[in-house]
Amino acid sequence: MRFLLNLLLLLVVALAVGFGLSWYAVTDGRLVGAAQIGPWTAWPRAGSPDPDPYTRAYLARSGALQLGQGEGIRFVATADSDGVPLDRNCRYRIDGSTPTATFWTLVPTAPDGATIARPDGPPGFNSRRIARANDGSVQLYVSKTLAPLNWLEITGSGAFWLVLDLYDTTLFSGVGSSDASLPSIIREAC
Amino acid sequence: MVRTLLYMFGGLLLGLAIHLVVILLLPGLASNTVGVQLAAVGQVNKVVTLDPVAPGGPNPLRLDPELAYAVCRLDLSKGPGELTGTLPLSYWSVSVYDRAGTVLYSTTNRDGIGQTLDLGVFDAAQTRLLAEQKIDVDAGLLIVETRTDDIFVVVKLEPSQPATRDRYAAQLGRLACRPLKT
Repeated sequence: MRFLLNLLLLLVVALAVGFGLSWYAVTDGRLVGAAQIGPWTAWPRAGSPDPDPYTRAYLARSGALQLGQGEGIRFVATADSDGVPLDRNCRYRIDGSTPTATFWTLVPTAPDGATIARPDGPPGFNSRRIARANDGSVQLYVSKTLAPLNWLEITGSGAFWLVLDLYDTTLFSGVGSSDASLPSIIREAC
Repeated sequence: MVRTLLYMFGGLLLGLAIHLVVILLLPGLASNTVGVQLAAVGQVNKVVTLDPVAPGGPNPLRLDPELAYAVCRLDLSKGPGELTGTLPLSYWSVSVYDRAGTVLYSTTNRDGIGQTLDLGVFDAAQTRLLAEQKIDVDAGLLIVETRTDDIFVVVKLEPSQPATRDRYAAQLGRLACRPLKT
């Protein structure tokens, strides 16, 4: 009887560790292939011709059309800078500067990838069409309610993600600027 | 107690083995890869412009709604392929994917290409013939070598303004995706 209990324990531990680690690796992935800058996460090798096994597994699971290393890199934030998951009922300020890039887009999406901006407006921010401070930094607002400066109205309720695509950037390329700062995501009101 | 701890340690080791097997097998078992999705829309030797991402609509490829996309599927088993044409004076990029969604090659028009896209795609055997000068290609052709024969070339174009999107997408549709004349 004791042998059977120990065997059961072994199997439970093995399945929990095996599938738990695998789930972590292809979702969060910070310890195995993903890079995190503040609330933003990216998979730097997702656009590489030879991704590592963890990145390959992430590619298979996500089914997303990745940006090649020569094109740019995608960052995704699922939580604000305090680690609280993004909620469509709150107003967020995205505040700070972005790495050097030809241009970038910032699009709020549902977790399944659908855009959540007001249907008759732009789907997201484009760095070529926003107002900036004198030092080049940006202040963007994402909310259902009116906000100052650069404001994107979103719809619906529940969780959402912020997807930041940096095009033609030198980030993670090993050349050019090593400045890897990304804007903070600050929850202002709910 | 010691025996129970040993069983737990054994479970930990077995769990790590399961983890490695899952990670290594997942790419082969996935049913919704980029290749599967692109194969559903792409036709061999034809440029297909992807529909714009509709507000609130499904977006399984996680496309950037600010960009216009075109896909050219090439079958290199019958010979090298090419994607050629002229694109607007705006940001655009081109990338080559295999069926697993791995980006085999990518570049942007900021790399000195200008407005003219002239991309030749070759598999390893064809590249060898090219090196041996048994295949003639035009000077200036951007040569990309791939590991597999079923290839998707994706062009991403940023409309300078939202109002120009349809015109830019139409220009994407005029790209030529075809077997390379050698």
